[in-house]
Parts: sequence; structure tokens; C-alpha cells
Amino acid sequence: MQWYEIVLIAAAAAFVAGVIVWQIVRRIKGKGGCGCSGCSSCGSCSSCASHKKEQSEKK
Amino acid sequence: MEKLLSEFTVGETGTVRTVSGEGRLRRRLFDMGVTPGAKITLRKKAPLGDPLEVNLRGYELTLRKTEAACVRMEVNA
Amino acid sequence: MKKFALAGNPNCGKTTLFNLLTGSAAYVGNWPGVTVEKREGTYKRGEERVRIVDLPGIYSLSPYTPEEVVSRNFILDEKPDCVIDVVDATNLERNLYLTTQLMEIDVPVIIALNMMDAVEKSGDAIDEKELERKIGLPVVRISALKNQGIKELMDRALKVSKEPRAGETVLKGSPIAHLVRDVSIALKGQKVENPLFHAVKLSEMDEIEAAAHEELVPMVDAFKSTFDDDTFGTDFDAVIADARYRYITENYSAVISRGNRGEPFTPSDKADKVLTHKIWGIPIFLVILLAIFHLTFSEDFLYLGAWASLGNGLPTLFDPVSEGGLGWEENAATTLLACFYDGAVFSPGVIFTNLWNWLLGWVGTLFELCCANAAPWVGSFVVDGIWGGLSSVLGFLPQILVLFLFFSILEDSGYMARVAFILDRIFRKFGLTGRAFMPMIMGFGCSLPAMINTRTLADEKERTATVRVIPFFSCGAKLPILTAIAGGIVTSFGVGNADLITYGMYLLGIVTAIFCVLFMRSTSLRGEISPFLMELPAYHAPLFKGLMIHLWDKTKHFIKKAFTVIFASTIVIWFLSSFSWDWKFLPQEIEYEGETFMANLRMNESILGSIGMLVQPLFTPLGFGAQLQSAGWVFAVAALTGLVAKENVIATFGTLAAAIAGSYVATEEGVMETVAIIEATGVNVPGLIAFIAFNMLTVPCFAACATARAELPKGKFQWTLLFWLATSYIVSAAIYLVGTWWWTAFIFAAALAASIAGIALWNKKHPPKKSANVEEEK
Repeated sequence: MQWYEIVLIAAAAAFVAGVIVWQIVRRIKGKGGCGCSGCSSCGSCSSCASHKKEQSEKK
Repeated sequence: MEKLLSEFTVGETGTVRTVSGEGRLRRRLFDMGVTPGAKITLRKKAPLGDPLEVNLRGYELTLRKTEAACVRMEVNA
Repeated sequence: MKKFALAGNPNCGKTTLFNLLTGSAAYVGNWPGVTVEKREGTYKRGEERVRIVDLPGIYSLSPYTPEEVVSRNFILDEKPDCVIDVVDATNLERNLYLTTQLMEIDVPVIIALNMMDAVEKSGDAIDEKELERKIGLPVVRISALKNQGIKELMDRALKVSKEPRAGETVLKGSPIAHLVRDVSIALKGQKVENPLFHAVKLSEMDEIEAAAHEELVPMVDAFKSTFDDDTFGTDFDAVIADARYRYITENYSAVISRGNRGEPFTPSDKADKVLTHKIWGIPIFLVILLAIFHLTFSEDFLYLGAWASLGNGLPTLFDPVSEGGLGWEENAATTLLACFYDGAVFSPGVIFTNLWNWLLGWVGTLFELCCANAAPWVGSFVVDGIWGGLSSVLGFLPQILVLFLFFSILEDSGYMARVAFILDRIFRKFGLTGRAFMPMIMGFGCSLPAMINTRTLADEKERTATVRVIPFFSCGAKLPILTAIAGGIVTSFGVGNADLITYGMYLLGIVTAIFCVLFMRSTSLRGEISPFLMELPAYHAPLFKGLMIHLWDKTKHFIKKAFTVIFASTIVIWFLSSFSWDWKFLPQEIEYEGETFMANLRMNESILGSIGMLVQPLFTPLGFGAQLQSAGWVFAVAALTGLVAKENVIATFGTLAAAIAGSYVATEEGVMETVAIIEATGVNVPGLIAFIAFNMLTVPCFAACATARAELPKGKFQWTLLFWLATSYIVSAAIYLVGTWWWTAFIFAAALAASIAGIALWNKKHPPKKSANVEEEK
């Protein structure tokens, strides 16, 4: 096996793991994914992040 | 002459006499400016005759025939 | 840091002002209910930094709609240092109604008189100093659109915020003034904050107030027994609302001077004469929709090719002259030209797609060259696996953007509100209000914001029904599925037109939604229809800048999603499909037309294949199950990957098709992959259409599911999942079975008739409870 093949495999595995973790973290935080690229671009989406933040701040 | 807002013809203007209707609806009508003394003109009716578009206090409001039927108007001939 | 709130009517320009102050690109739509929740930003250009909170538009502080409750609670509980009341100067009377309520709270208030440019243009003038004198609140004229007066506004707001302010009311001269004064004294005694505000609301017998201050209710009732107004009887909220408007009208005339206009017939009204015409309104809307689809998807623009084929037909570019072509050689230049015309003129959407794919093709070739000298599995991984999947999804970016652009124009211009107006009567027959139309149209872009937007629907049952059918309005992520398979059908079977099939499938989604709503509203979600009162904002031409910002955001989001979630998914899929359970690497070199390729002809032995074959039989009644040959499990697997992101369905096709047939197939958009899979599995047209239908109607992506769960009442989500699965399964099965064996239509018709009869009978026996809200008429 050449060195670059190993690098490629490692990179791919790390990338997939990273994406999975990132998605899970987002879900826990309550942010949605489909059309909301951050709350500013969508008229009604601002509830997700700020609402949850509010609640955790209140507690 | 008294007439219900829902009975208006397109272009007709009148002044509000009373507003009836169930609590929440009535409150909504007030909030939108449909109070006694307000001048209202019927602008148009949607296809199939319902809802209605009226002009009052300088803006366009749309409401259903059943909701407009809660508004009793005074029309000068 | 200081905190300022932006309050005001819907469509008064709050969000435009918010964007100016905070430098954000929050979406500014032109229909009531665009902003459903508050959003925050920071103003950095003044003496000190200020947190700005944009509240949803409200007409009043009564607690009848979610937006009002949000705004009201924010001002009362979070105690902003100043409330900037954004007043639409073209609509002064109604906007001041809210002002008279805001000023009753113990908080500094400043009035931002917005849209002054429009006022001046129409020949009117407003004396803001006079207004300030009469109402007792600072007034600053601004034009958020033209970015005028903003600095003065913020400077003055900052000044005003430094001093506390006690609430005042315009009800001093009204018949109810005594009651208000007495109640507010009582509340002050109890050390309640904002005593005046609560006193007034209590006098109105506002539900929230009555619950919070039960002991004071008898005081109000006592007053009621001694009070009797000729017009309103003891209806205090009517008295108060009337008093407010009386005050406004008396003081309003001194403030505004109208130019000579008479009864205004603005350009907006002229447009409305046509667009909301009694008879032509609905047909015009349908035509506009069809035009949008045609401009985005049609491969025969204006059907010129079809017209021409009545004669000699239009020539293609590359076919030999004997076959009706121009016999051109395929090189870089002619391939570029072919993006615009090849046997038919392409629609703008298709032209952009072709150009984009032409570009992507070069990238693919680049990857191939890079991997040419590497170990064979690398080529399979990079070119077939990753690029095969990624490019098939990326290929759709142009069409998604074009469609999105058209819908944005419809929304921003104010046309959407008109359509809700036109459609309300029809919607009511299905148990919805015209207002539900907005979130549905938003669903064509993405289900998430659409589901959140249903918050403006007052009735809980109506909301649940709407949230459940929103995924049927195929979101942008499902577009690749429709287009790729429609294209595959046209190419493989020579049947139909790409744009008509696509339009038809979108229509199927809508029709299914209608039936489902009818069904739900007559069974588990029976209820009353909420009132419809809605303002029709004036039309205005969408701002080019606003549209571009919106498009750019969408693009950014799409690319991000493609290079993360979908990218990761393709890696996983490639891996699972290239290795068998005992770690054998399955793709091998084969010869085809004189060249060697990596192809994975033994994919059935892979991990993914064995999982797929397990699930495959479930889809047999739908046309893509056990009846398919060799690689038929691909359909089942693709549908499953759609749970992560709907774009994955075609990405999966892309990865797997490229691997099955070798990378020579994976050069164009998803269509080619689909063709490869069609040929490898032997699926028929009804099966393909059933597949589209299944993906369109079934459980949406995880993100949408999470949102649905958050927006639905407790306990409704499980049923919603079941609902999605059942609907997609039944409809797809119907399509496949009836499409392949036409006589099965009778079985379905009979089942449908039986269920309708059953529901009707059941409803007769269990009539819906009348709501307790119906008061007696005086």
C-alpha cells in the first residue's frame, strides 16, 4: 500500500466521523438543517437557536 | 339605511354602527380598526364571492363574508 | 449591553430596519406573518453597542395570536431599555393603535415614522413635530428602504433610554377612565410592575390578565354593574378599542395633510384588478405556476420543438444529416452550444444546468486523470464513489436556484398574500384557511421554515394538519429525484416530457395533500375554521439586492450540505457497496469498447447489497421490490439514504450506478445514472413513478422530522410518522399497481369509496363538539 492510499483512507474515515459528530451536536443544540443557513436568512427560523439559548440562560 | 358589510356591493361605502361576533373575532375586528364611526369601502370580492376586500383607515383588509356579517353599517343613499 | 426592541405592525419595515441596524441579511417578505419569532443582532455604529431585537409584527398587544404573545411577553418580561415603535406612515391610524398600547407600559418608547419616502411621493405630508407634541413620545422620521434618518433615530433612542418612563394612557378622557385608574392604583399597591398596562388589560377582561390577577376581577365586575354605555353595553374591550381610535382620529387630522388625491387608486390596486379578478384570478395563478415550471425544467422551451415536429422538425446538432441532424462534430465549442439548443431550445433553467454540468464534466475528467496512475481502488473510490455521488447532486444547483428565485419574487412582491385571499374559499372546503397557503408554498423551498411558519395559524388542529402535509409540497432537496427520474423515463422509454412529468409529480404532491387534509379534518382533527382577517400589503417590486442575498444564502447552504452530509454519505455508501462481509474488494477491471474501467459487477455480494436485498421485498407492491433483477435493491437503499438528506437518493444512485457500470456512465447529471440503473434492474415506468411518489410523500429528512416534532403538539409526532409511511406506501402502490395492471383501479376505487362512506357514517354518529366560544349576540 502506498502512503497516499493510507492517507486517503484515514482522511475519509476522519471526515465521515466528523460529519456524524457535527450533525449530532447540531441536533442536540436544536438547530435544523434543511433550509436554514443560520437564522438570518430565513424569516421564521430564528426560533431554533435563540429560543433554546434563552431557555438555557434562564435556567 | 342600515346594511351588513357582507351585503355591500363593490364600491359601496358606509360607516360602522356596531360590531358583533364572538369574543376573539370581535376583538380582532377592533384591532384592525373596524370600530363604530370607521368609514369602510368594499373594494372587491374574491372569485366565488368570498372573501371580501375592504378599504378602511387607509389600508386594504380582507375578511370572510361570515366575518363581515358581524359588522352593521350605516349607508347614506 | 443595552437592549432595544423593534415593535410594530406586520410589513411596517421592522425587519428592513433591523437589517440596516445590525448588518444582517434577515429575510424580508411581503406578506403578513413573515417574521414569526424574534431575532437578535447588534448595532455597533452608535456611542455604545446596543442589542437589537426584532419582534414579530403585531396589530395589538391582546393575547390572541402567538406573535402577539411573543412580543408582549418580551417587552414585559425582558424589559428592553427602549422600544422603537416602527410606524408605517402610509397607514398612520392603524399603526398608532398599537402605539397607544405600547405607551401604557413603563418603558421608554420612541416612534420611528417609516416609509416617509412613500408618503412624500404620494403628495402627502406628515408633521412629526406636531405628532410628537400631541402623543407625548419622541418621533423621528426615517426611510428604512432608503437608509435615511437611521442615525438620528438611534441617537435619540439612546438618549431616551437613559431616563425611565412611566406608562401613560390615551384613555384618560374615556368613560372607562375611572375603572382603569382604580385598578392601576390597586396594582401599584401590590407592587406590580407596569401597573397601568395591566390595569387596562384587566379592564378589557384580557384572559391572561384575569388569570394572573384573579383577586382584582371582582373589582372590574363591580364596575361593570354600574356602567352601561349605549353602544357597547358592558363590553369593555369594545369601549377601550373605540376610545383608542377616537383619540387617534381626533389627533390624526392635525398631523397629516393630504395632497389632492381623492379616493386613491394606486398602481397596487390596478395590478389587483387583474391578478385577483373574480373569474380569472385562479386560472392566472395556475398559469403563473406552470410558467415557472416551464422556465425551470422544460427541455423544449415554448414547445418550439413540438410545434416544429408537425412539419420537418428542428435539427439536432450531432446526429448525421440523414437522421435529421446537422452532423456536427462533438468538440468543446459545439458541446458548449449544445447547452442552449440541441433539437429543441432549452429553458433558462435547463440551459444553466447544462452549462454547469459541462463544467462539472471537466472536474470529473480532472479527477480521472489524477487517479489514472494510482491503485485501481483509488480510482473507484474517488471517481465513481465520491465524484459520482457528489456531482449527481451538485448538478441540480442551477435548477434549485432558478425555482427558488421565482418563488422569492412571488413572495417578495406581495402576490402570495393575494393568492391566499383568492384561495381561502376553496381551502375552507378542505378545512383549512387561506392563511395555510403561505407555509405550503414555503414548503416548495424547504419544509423546515414552512413548518415553523404554521405558528401563525391560530387553530391547533389546522396547524397539525398543515404541518403533516407540508412535506408533500416537494422541497428543493427532492427536486433532483424528480428531475433525474423524469429524465430517465424520457431517455430510457421515450415517453413524455421532462417538464410535464415534473409538474405532474408536484401536482400529485398537492393533490395528495388535499386528500389527506380532507381525511384528517373529518376524522382525528375535526375542528372549527379560524378567522381570516388579514391585511393585503401593497405590491412592491422585489429588491434586486434582496433577491441576490437570498439566492446567495441558498447557494451557500446547498454547497455546505453537499460537501458535508452528502459527501460523507457517498463515502459510506461506496464503502458498504464495494466490500463484502468478508472484506473482499469487489470492483474489478473490465474491458469495454477498448478501454479498461473499474466496475463493480458483483455489488450484490456487498454489505450494502445484502442489507438492500433484505429490505427490497417490502417494496414489491410499489414496483421496485422483489420483482427487479440483480441490482434492484438499489431503489430500497436509495430511499433509505434519503432519510439523512433527500438529495442522497440521487447521490446514492450516482455512486452505485457509477460503480455498477463503470465511470464511463457517470459523466452527466443524475439522468445517466438513472438510465444505468433502469437498465440494470429492469424497472418499468409505473415503478419509477411510484418510486418518485414514494420519496416525495414519505418521511422527510431527519432535520424536517425534528422540526415537525417540535412544532406539533405532544404525542402527535408518532402518528405523523405513521401517517407519512402509510400515505407514501398506499399512493405509490396505487400508482404501480394501476399503472401496470389497469384493472386494479377498481379495487382501489372500491376501497376509497368504502372508507369515505365509513367516515361519513362515523361522523354522523359522532358529531364534532361545538366550541364553547360562541357568545350570544347582544
